[in-house]
Amino acid sequence: MNKQSSNLCCRRHSLLTIIVCLVSPCFAENWPGWRGPARNGVTDDSGVPTTWSATENVRWKVILPGAGISNPVVWQDRIIVTASAGQDQNELHVICFDRRTGKKQWHQQLWGTSPTLFYPQSGMASPTPATDGKHVFAFFGTGDVFCFDMDGGLLWQRALADEYGQFQNRFAASSSPLLFEDKLILQCDHYGDSYLIAMNQHSGANLWKSERPEAWHSWSSPQIVAAKHQYELVLSGSTKLDAYDPDSGDRLWTVRGLAQECIPTPVFGQGLLYAVSGPNGDHYAVRPGGRGDVTESHVEWKHNRGTSFVPSAIIIGNRYYLADDKGLARCWEIPSGKILWRKRFRGKHTASPISADGKLFFVNQQGSTLVLDATASEYVELARNEVNEEVLSSPAISDGCFFLRTSKHLFCIGNSAEQPDRPN
Amino acid sequence: MNYATSRLLLLVSVTWLVTTQFAQCDDQELLDVISRAGPQGAGSFAARAARDELAQRNVEFLPLLLAAMNTSNPIAANWYRTIYQEIVTRGLSTGETHWPIAFLKQYVGDTKRNGKPRRLVLSLIDRLEPDFRNRWLPSRLTDPEFRSEAVALAINAGDQALTDKNTEMAKAQFQKAFQYARDRSLVTQSAERLRSIGETADVIRHLGLVTDWWLTGPFDAPEKTGFALTFEPENGVNLNAEYLGQNNATFGWSRYRTTDALGQLNLVDALTKADEAVAYAWTEITVEHGQKAQLRCSADDCCLVWLNEKIVSPHEQWLNGTRFDRFADTVTLVAGRNTILVKVCQGPQHRNPEVFNNWSVQVRLCDDEGRGISFRNALPAIPTK
Repeated sequence: MNKQSSNLCCRRHSLLTIIVCLVSPCFAENWPGWRGPARNGVTDDSGVPTTWSATENVRWKVILPGAGISNPVVWQDRIIVTASAGQDQNELHVICFDRRTGKKQWHQQLWGTSPTLFYPQSGMASPTPATDGKHVFAFFGTGDVFCFDMDGGLLWQRALADEYGQFQNRFAASSSPLLFEDKLILQCDHYGDSYLIAMNQHSGANLWKSERPEAWHSWSSPQIVAAKHQYELVLSGSTKLDAYDPDSGDRLWTVRGLAQECIPTPVFGQGLLYAVSGPNGDHYAVRPGGRGDVTESHVEWKHNRGTSFVPSAIIIGNRYYLADDKGLARCWEIPSGKILWRKRFRGKHTASPISADGKLFFVNQQGSTLVLDATASEYVELARNEVNEEVLSSPAISDGCFFLRTSKHLFCIGNSAEQPDRPN
Repeated sequence: MNYATSRLLLLVSVTWLVTTQFAQCDDQELLDVISRAGPQGAGSFAARAARDELAQRNVEFLPLLLAAMNTSNPIAANWYRTIYQEIVTRGLSTGETHWPIAFLKQYVGDTKRNGKPRRLVLSLIDRLEPDFRNRWLPSRLTDPEFRSEAVALAINAGDQALTDKNTEMAKAQFQKAFQYARDRSLVTQSAERLRSIGETADVIRHLGLVTDWWLTGPFDAPEKTGFALTFEPENGVNLNAEYLGQNNATFGWSRYRTTDALGQLNLVDALTKADEAVAYAWTEITVEHGQKAQLRCSADDCCLVWLNEKIVSPHEQWLNGTRFDRFADTVTLVAGRNTILVKVCQGPQHRNPEVFNNWSVQVRLCDDEGRGISFRNALPAIPTK
C-alpha cells in the first residue's frame, strides 16, 4: 500500500467512525438500505421481540399500494417503501411512513420509463431504496432512478433505459443501489448492454460508467469491502465475481466459477468475502486485494453444498449461515469451512436472513419467521412466528422494531409494552 | 473564506438567481424550463425550482400543464406529474369547484395524446364525475391506451348476457371483443368464449402467427457458439440438401406444421431433443401488397431471422425462454412471395435440472398494434429427393 492510498483509507475510516459516533448516541441504529447498515443483514440494534403473530406485538400494519419485494428502509422516524402497480407495472410508488404510528408522511407516484418482463409479486419494485438521512434514492426495474429529499420532494431523476437502452430482463432488474462516499452505485446486468454506474448523489450525473459486455442478466447487488490497500466494489454475476475500484470503475480482479445468473449479495467476514450462487453452484470465500484473474490464488475456501438461487447468506462472528430456496439450512464455521449444523426449515425461502440482539431471523414465503439463537454454535430455536401472509421481501430492524413486508402489508412488530398510537 | 463557506455562498447565490429569474417568468416559460431537464440529471435544479412555483397554481392551470405533459421526455413528464399531483390533491381536499371538466373529458378522449397522462386524467374524472368511466370506456375499442379495458368490458357483457340466457347478445359481445382485442390474453379469452357457444375464432390468423415450416437440424454448436457459427442453410436454402450435423448424423429438410394454439414450434417434438445445437426453420409467405409490418418473434434459447435473405431480427439472448412477442422488429414485405429463415440456437442444459430443456420458436407478422397482417403460407410442394 502506498502512503497516499493508506492515508486515503485512514481518512475514510475516520470519516465513517465520526459519522457512526455522531449518529449512534442520539438514535437507535437505522436500516438505510439493502440488508441494513452494513449491507450484511446485521445490526447493533436491540430490543427486538422474539415472538409475535398476526396480531400479537403488532404495533401497526399498513396496506401497500402495489407489488414489490424491496425491503423497507428506516431512517430515524421515517420508513420508506417502494412499490409498483398498473399496466405493465409502470406506476412507481415511493411511500414514507411514520415509524411510530404507521401514518403516511408522503407518497410520490411516478411513471416508469420502460417496463420489462417481471415477476408478479415483485413488479418493478425489487431493488431496495437507500438513504443517507438527507436523500432517498429509489431505483426500479424499469431502469428509473429517483432522488428525493427526506420530505419527498423530487431532486433529480435518471431514466437509464432511455439513456442507455431498455433493460432486457425476464424478472425486472432487482439490484439494490449502494451508497459509497458521494456516489450512488448501480449494477445494471441484463440481456442488453450491461454496465456498472456511479452517479453523483447530489446531481445524478455520472461519475463513471464501466461497461460489462460479457455480462448478462443477474439480480445481485454490489457490495463494498475494505481490502488491505483500498475499498473494493464487488459484483456477483455472469459466472464470476468481479471487484472494481469504486473511485474509477476500473476492474481490479475476477474470480471465475459462479453461476450464470446470480442473485445473492456477497458478504464479508473474518477477512474474507463470501459469495454464493446456485442452485447447484458453489460457495466461494475470497481474499480481497488481488489483481487480474485470482481464481487460483485468492480463493481460500470453496463448498458445493447448500447453495441458494435467491437468498443471501449472513455472517455472525465466525459462523456463516445460509438457508437455500427450499429451506435447507446450514451453518459453517469460518474460515475453516467446518459444518456446524444442518437443518430443514419449513417452507420455501426468498427473503435473506437478518440478525440483531443475539438473534437470527429467517422468514419463509408463508410468512413464518424462524428465530434462532445467534450466540450458540449449535442449532437453538427460540421461536416461530406466523403472520399468515406471503413474504418474499427481506425484513428490516430499527429501534427495537422488526419491519416485515408481506405481499399486502407492511408490519411494524415491536414489544407491546411500548405500544404507540395506531395509524389514522 | 474556506471551501465549505464558499460552496454555501455559491449555492445561495444560484438559488437567489434562479428564484428571482423565475419570479418574472410566465407559466409557459416555467414549463419550458422543466422540458429541458434531461439525461444525467441535467436541469434538475432549475426544474425543481420551476416545479415548486407551478405547484402553487390552482386547477385552472391544468389545461396548460396537461398540454406540456404530452411530451416524449420521460424526465420532464415526471416533473410535470409531481405538479399535477400536488394541484389535484389540493383541489380535491379543498372542495375546488372550478375544475376544467370539459377540457379534461376532451383530453382523456384524445388518442393523439400520450396514454399515461390521459390515464391520470381519467382517474381524476372518476372523482369528479363517478359514472363517466362506465359510460365512456366501452366505446374505446380502438383507443391505443384504453382498448384492453374496453375489450374486457365486452367480454364481461357477453358473460352477463350468457347468464341472462341471451346467446345472441353474448355472441355479439364476444365477436366484438375478439375483433378489437390485440392483447394475447384477451384474444384467447374472447376466442374461447366464442367457441364455448359454438362459434369459430381463428386465433392464429388474428395474431398473424406463422405455423407452416420446413425444418432442419440439429447442427453441432458446442457451448454457446451457435449464434455466431454459420451453417449451410445460411448460405442459401436448398430443400433437397442433406447436411452432416451433431453426432455425425445426416439429415435434410422436413415439413412441419405446428398445431400449438399460439403457433409455437416445438423443435424437440419436430426434430429431436438436443443440447448445444442449432436448427433452422424456413417458410414462404405471400402478401397481396408491399407493406411495413412488425416481425415479432421469440425463441428458446435465441434466434436470428432473415427476411428475403436479409437479417432483420438478430437476438442473442440465452436462457430467456420463448415468450410471446419478446422481440419486435419493423420489416418491409414485398408484394407476392417473401421468404423467412429462422435460426434457433439451443445452449447447454441449465445447471438447475428442474429447468425444462425447451427448444422452440414463435414467429408472427402484425401491425404496430399487434393485429396479424393478412398473408398466405405458400410453401412449395415437398421436393422429390
